[in-house]
Amino acid sequence: MTNAGRGATLTFLIMSATVRRPPLAVVLVAIVVLALGETAGAAMSRFKPEIQRYAAARVAANPGAHGFSGSAEYDDEVRERAIFTAEAGLAFFHLHGMGVGLVLFFASALVAATVPGRRARAVLYVLLTLGGLFPLGYVVYGAAGLELGRDAGIELAERWILTPLGVSAIAGLAGLWLALARRRA
Amino acid sequence: MREADAPTWRVPPRWVLLVAVLSIVAAEIGGGSMARFKVELTRWARDGMLARPSVHGLVGVRDVDERILDEALVKFDAGLRLFHMHAEGMGLVIIATSMVAASVIRHVTARRAIIALLTTGGAGYPVGYLVWSALIPSYGLERAKTIAEWLVWVPFGTATIVALWCLAGLVAWSMIDRHRA
Repeated sequence: MTNAGRGATLTFLIMSATVRRPPLAVVLVAIVVLALGETAGAAMSRFKPEIQRYAAARVAANPGAHGFSGSAEYDDEVRERAIFTAEAGLAFFHLHGMGVGLVLFFASALVAATVPGRRARAVLYVLLTLGGLFPLGYVVYGAAGLELGRDAGIELAERWILTPLGVSAIAGLAGLWLALARRRA
Repeated sequence: MREADAPTWRVPPRWVLLVAVLSIVAAEIGGGSMARFKVELTRWARDGMLARPSVHGLVGVRDVDERILDEALVKFDAGLRLFHMHAEGMGLVIIATSMVAASVIRHVTARRAIIALLTTGGAGYPVGYLVWSALIPSYGLERAKTIAEWLVWVPFGTATIVALWCLAGLVAWSMIDRHRA
């Protein structure tokens, strides 16, 4: 990193050389995921009643998917569980959006600074960036739970979004670790 | 592209890094204090609530009052926990996003404004959880939450969200600009 160009006098150097940064596309995905996570966090508390009302309406619109029996006590319990799952999806999205956005940012910064070879860097950027989209799986988790029923919704989110994107994140981080280990050797 | 032309990071202003690190330090101290002074903190909150029975709806019946006090103490503890978590996270968010802003945004006024919003919003927002916890014994659960919401969470949270989306827009714009050039 460098402050050259600002005209400021440094009293100490953080690093002795300039440090490459990742492509702007990767940085953009990290910032957008952070922004979405932050916005979801605000929406969770500010619009809690509206979200609960929307979730209840979607559950009522899909009675077969939720296994309504016609018994008020049982159906109320099913409805409450479905609404809780939707809220949990949003909470997980907020948490993971903030965390995974930061992981993508710092991991891709390390790739840019330490991994030699354009092709290796490109592969790691793709894996890490796809992994950076992992939190979106929780939006699907919440929404699909309301439309398809709790268990079917969770299975859809896990099979098609959370697992593949999670594997991609892990592969990207493992690749970064290997590249760092090889570099030291 | 020559090595010298490769895109590089620029360090954000020192005050930004100091604020970010201070936020993380405060989070660590908060987390440690929560464990080390758990008994003292709980006693302080409980004594504060018992001193204001009408605020908390205490009626003098043990079974009723203990449930009310327990619920309030759980929320008091949750506020401290959420401060610890958010101050840690937002410290890192400030460092990452201000680095991006310093490195990518060319327009001086826009860069300074976004960095200022990210830093003040990011550092200020977690304090809302401390305010919430601190006010529970004196004002009750709901009023304490409302005060923390409008004094801290809404202004500082809004600053961070607006700055993040503006930063995303400017990064996208920068990408399009470089692609054209």
